[in-house]
Amino acid sequence: MAGQIKQMIDSIVEQRANGNPTIALTTKAKLALKGVNPGSFSETSPDDPVIIAKIRKIAVDFGVQLGSNERK
Amino acid sequence: MPVTTAFSTKPAPDAVRDLRAQCGDRKPRAVIFFASPRYHLPALNREISQAFPEACVAGCSTAGEVVCGAMLNGSVVAMFLDEDVVEHAAAAVVEDVSLGTSVRDALLKLEQNFQAPLSSLDLRTHVGLVLLDGLSGAQERVMEELGDATDLFFVGGSAGDDLKLETTHVLANGRLHTDAAVLVLLRLKTGFDIVKTQSFKPTGKTLVATKVEEGQRQVIEFDHRPALDAYAAALGIAPEQASSQFFRHPLGLMIEGDPFVRSLRDVAGRSIRFYSHIKEGMELALLEATDIVEDTRAAIEAQKTAGQIRGLIEFQCILRTQQLQDEGRCGQYGAIFSGIPMVGFSTYGEAYLGHVNQTSTILIFR
Repeated sequence: MAGQIKQMIDSIVEQRANGNPTIALTTKAKLALKGVNPGSFSETSPDDPVIIAKIRKIAVDFGVQLGSNERK
Repeated sequence: MPVTTAFSTKPAPDAVRDLRAQCGDRKPRAVIFFASPRYHLPALNREISQAFPEACVAGCSTAGEVVCGAMLNGSVVAMFLDEDVVEHAAAAVVEDVSLGTSVRDALLKLEQNFQAPLSSLDLRTHVGLVLLDGLSGAQERVMEELGDATDLFFVGGSAGDDLKLETTHVLANGRLHTDAAVLVLLRLKTGFDIVKTQSFKPTGKTLVATKVEEGQRQVIEFDHRPALDAYAAALGIAPEQASSQFFRHPLGLMIEGDPFVRSLRDVAGRSIRFYSHIKEGMELALLEATDIVEDTRAAIEAQKTAGQIRGLIEFQCILRTQQLQDEGRCGQYGAIFSGIPMVGFSTYGEAYLGHVNQTSTILIFR
């Protein structure tokens, strides 16, 4: 399967930014500094379980929920 | 002028009287100062706080001070921010940062002082300064926690001690701290901008950290090879020549085309130690140096074009300062800031979104 990582990243950025483009940019930067660079993932990126676990932890750090929009 | 600066090279307590005299009869809302570790900092801190009883006072020790473009050593420099610029200011301290103390209590104190949740504050008119113990090794964690907890911008740097690497101090509310971070939150009347500038460009070559000791800021392997060998191979040189290139060829985490610089510190066996954490799996660009003076001039000129600069605070990596001194270009660099009230200091790391190296982070008051 592919694309889940980008989907999760997009969800985190969207929730955190809430429509604010500046926060969207800084959230992407914070993700990269945490070790998940949004620019490295696309719809075709494989669903690496290590990265997915890392993103779930980041979502907790950010106080956002990865819910029904993201495949389990 | 709503933003003014002062400096003194006199010994304390005359230095503080000197600063107070230069401030005149104004009553600044905030006083940000940076002091040489040659001063007896507990006394200096106490005297500055007493000299400005109505202000939020915060500062730190340095590896060199800057005022209006002039690079100094053995001085104390200060910026006075009047009510025309700063409506409200408060400082809080995160203690025992190397032991993992959370930033949340300090942020809660700031919320209480501002009588509002941080999430409700206008990002265009509220900005944070962060001054960190430069030897704590905790800068990445503090910045990450700040970034988790709030979308407010925090910009700053790590305190120095004239490269003795023994102890650094941060100061706030009349108290002096080691192993701590000072957070200063400002409500500004006319807004701000932040500049992060570093003089490097990507070479087109990348290295992926495949084995790290993150807490030790050490990379053991790049691309599944000993880190030293992989770094040297990327440069096309022998491993024993690699350390001579550390300064001109750091690595950068590329974010939207902008490098967040990770400087190489030294070699440990075939591993490389850095001045900031590198996470396992992180892809880093091999960088090459460009011109500090020209790059910084372009960054400041762009800010001048964007609008009036009432003043600025610069957090400049000590490695950049040393390079400018070695090249005899301090005067050229200082001239970039001509006519702008500015203070700053030479840091042991710069802060903006994260902990970075060989960078200048700048808070601009509009």
